[in-house]
Amino acid sequence: MTTLATKDVDPTASGGGAVGLHPVRRRHRRRLTGPLAPWLFLAPALLIFLLFKYIPMAEGIRLSLFNVRPFLGDLWVGLDNYVTVLTDERFQSALGRTLVLAFGQTAGAMVLGFALALLLEGSARSLWFVRSAVFLPVVAATAVVGEIWRLLYFPADEGFLNSVLSWFGIGAQPFLDSPDTALWSVMGVGVWKGAPYDMVIILAGLAGIDRQLYESSAIDGATTLQRLRHVTLPALRPVITILLTLAAIRGLRVFTEVYVLTGGGPAGSTDVWMTRVFSLGFERNELGVASAGSVVLFLVTLLLTLLVQYYRRRKEAM
Amino acid sequence: MSGVRHSAAVLAAVALLATGCGTSASQGDPNAPLEVWTRSLEDTAKVYEKIFSDFTAKTGIKIDYKPVYNDFDKRMQERAASKDLPDLVITDVSALGVYQSQGMVGEIDRAGFAGGADLVERAWNNAKGADGRYYAVPVSTQAQATFIRKDWREKLGKPVPTTWAELVDLAKAFTTGDPDGNGQSDTYGMLVPGSTDRGYLAWWAASYIWQAGGDILAEEGGKYRVAVDSPGTVSAVEWLRGMFCDTKIVQPGALTTITNDAHTFFEQGKAGIYLTGPYMMGRFDKAPGKDRYEVIASPKGPNGSTVLGEGENMYLMAGSARPSDQKKLAEFMVSPDAQKAGMQGVPRPVVRLPVNSKVDVSAVYSDPRWNTVAKVYADSARPFPNVPNFQPFRQQTAETLNALFARCGTDVRAELGKLAANLNKELKAQGIAK
Repeated sequence: MTTLATKDVDPTASGGGAVGLHPVRRRHRRRLTGPLAPWLFLAPALLIFLLFKYIPMAEGIRLSLFNVRPFLGDLWVGLDNYVTVLTDERFQSALGRTLVLAFGQTAGAMVLGFALALLLEGSARSLWFVRSAVFLPVVAATAVVGEIWRLLYFPADEGFLNSVLSWFGIGAQPFLDSPDTALWSVMGVGVWKGAPYDMVIILAGLAGIDRQLYESSAIDGATTLQRLRHVTLPALRPVITILLTLAAIRGLRVFTEVYVLTGGGPAGSTDVWMTRVFSLGFERNELGVASAGSVVLFLVTLLLTLLVQYYRRRKEAM
Repeated sequence: MSGVRHSAAVLAAVALLATGCGTSASQGDPNAPLEVWTRSLEDTAKVYEKIFSDFTAKTGIKIDYKPVYNDFDKRMQERAASKDLPDLVITDVSALGVYQSQGMVGEIDRAGFAGGADLVERAWNNAKGADGRYYAVPVSTQAQATFIRKDWREKLGKPVPTTWAELVDLAKAFTTGDPDGNGQSDTYGMLVPGSTDRGYLAWWAASYIWQAGGDILAEEGGKYRVAVDSPGTVSAVEWLRGMFCDTKIVQPGALTTITNDAHTFFEQGKAGIYLTGPYMMGRFDKAPGKDRYEVIASPKGPNGSTVLGEGENMYLMAGSARPSDQKKLAEFMVSPDAQKAGMQGVPRPVVRLPVNSKVDVSAVYSDPRWNTVAKVYADSARPFPNVPNFQPFRQQTAETLNALFARCGTDVRAELGKLAANLNKELKAQGIAK
């Protein structure tokens, strides 16, 4: 208090107001750069996250422990819902299909994305246009994409893809209509939709590769394939790790494509984890069990992300 | 340290804001208009809009009307989960079990319901819960009818089918005989909404299962036993599977087709035989065209021509701040005037067969096809059983049938046996097993 008082008195006493104002101004500046400032900037985003992410997530975890009956009062069932999910035969087979789909879509999109990136790398104006066109599937609404692919996949001679196949003398394929091909057809749509996204990230990675490396390896007599194998791929490793992590997470929670294309059928052959959760929650009204299924998926995703992070850190440390 | 304290403060503030925003006012507010949902597409929404505006003109009670079609049940569940239901809902009879078992509707006092005595008993039955009490108000009933492309049939010189054998024969002719004469084999016989979504496939197949003397559940003195593995059901399912696997007279992609997608196959002249609700007449009169198709009673199976006869109920949802206005609207919906307005809706009626005995079907419609439907409803229509919640039974049956029709090599009897075991578990869980 005393120091403050003397400071306040100081300016008038010294007669030089300008000097005396400095501490006050500095105090203001310190407050703006103080510990509260970043939180103020973050507040809008945090508020939205809290409202639309964290509170629903917490609510989901809570519901997973109850037999949910909104108008009769929820009944506490402990971990029963989790036992139901983990021992349910159909959840187990859905998990298998989810993994197949996630793996296939991730790998397919990556390979196709890589090929597209190599083809479309460069700064010519025409390339810019082609790249934008190729990127369109990523920004198109998944539900719309699904409906369009349902038409393309129409499982008779007059279907679009089948009429294309008939030019090559291949008979009508059932695509989504047969339990043997439905999952692969869904995967095809996933790859088609995911590849351009991978392409863009890989393009960014490609731009960061030192041209001299290509030139010097060419002088050393490396073929195009060898340059690809020994220069491009190693340089893209961080990009590929990121893409793998993102794609694996995206792959595990795949829902919209499957729901619009097949609704999980035929014969449950495309029933994945999230369609199972959805059908339990909103068709059979077992919101508690459905929440437990979602929480399990969340935990698996979290675990997977941590594993990839750990693996990457170790690689980088080496 | 101060960082932690600040972040805690920010989070607390945000949480306060969040809880403030979380409570929705619509249902709790006695002065807000009545929120009414119907499971409708745009065309029928217009018909409801008119009926509701008549109601507002008559009573002064304002209505906030929302037609919902896609994912109706799912969106209702979302509203239920947030404990903020619409005041009234018009949807399928089949929702009764779910709404009742979840406490989303209360009991209706039939004796105190104005005009209730004029309602036909079979319609009231659509609103009856498993405990014999009433939990909704019926507003419309119907029986499924078979729609057939008349021009195709006549072109191929086939008779109107009266038996299963004739039905299959006609479907074969439609599939292979190029009935539209465009030189390509791009037409199909049976139109099947075979998706498992909402259990559609079971909805469609139930009529044929009954026609063979089979059933999903059989009632015995207020209790139920599983009948999905009975000889009648097995033979019906084998017969139906023949359409998918042997004669291949079903439209392509049937097993992932939801009803709304199925309609377009008939509309666009891709398929010629469709077992569906009579409300489709309005739409099909435009395309393929009124004179191009006929509406007949289902051809006879080994055990008769029973078809599904259900309808729509009006549900007075729990938690409403205005129970007396809820009741007023429900009473208005079943009054002769509103029933007639619903039947005369353009392009499609929202009231198919009236629930009010004072309304004369043939006088209002003056369309012999509706007389056919009324006769089918009177003679050979039946609903799904009044179990507490039929949805899980319908869903699982649809899933098994879908798998059986998709994989032609599987053993029908064994798969239905597995389904029966699962349905039995569900019966026990609902406490109604015999």
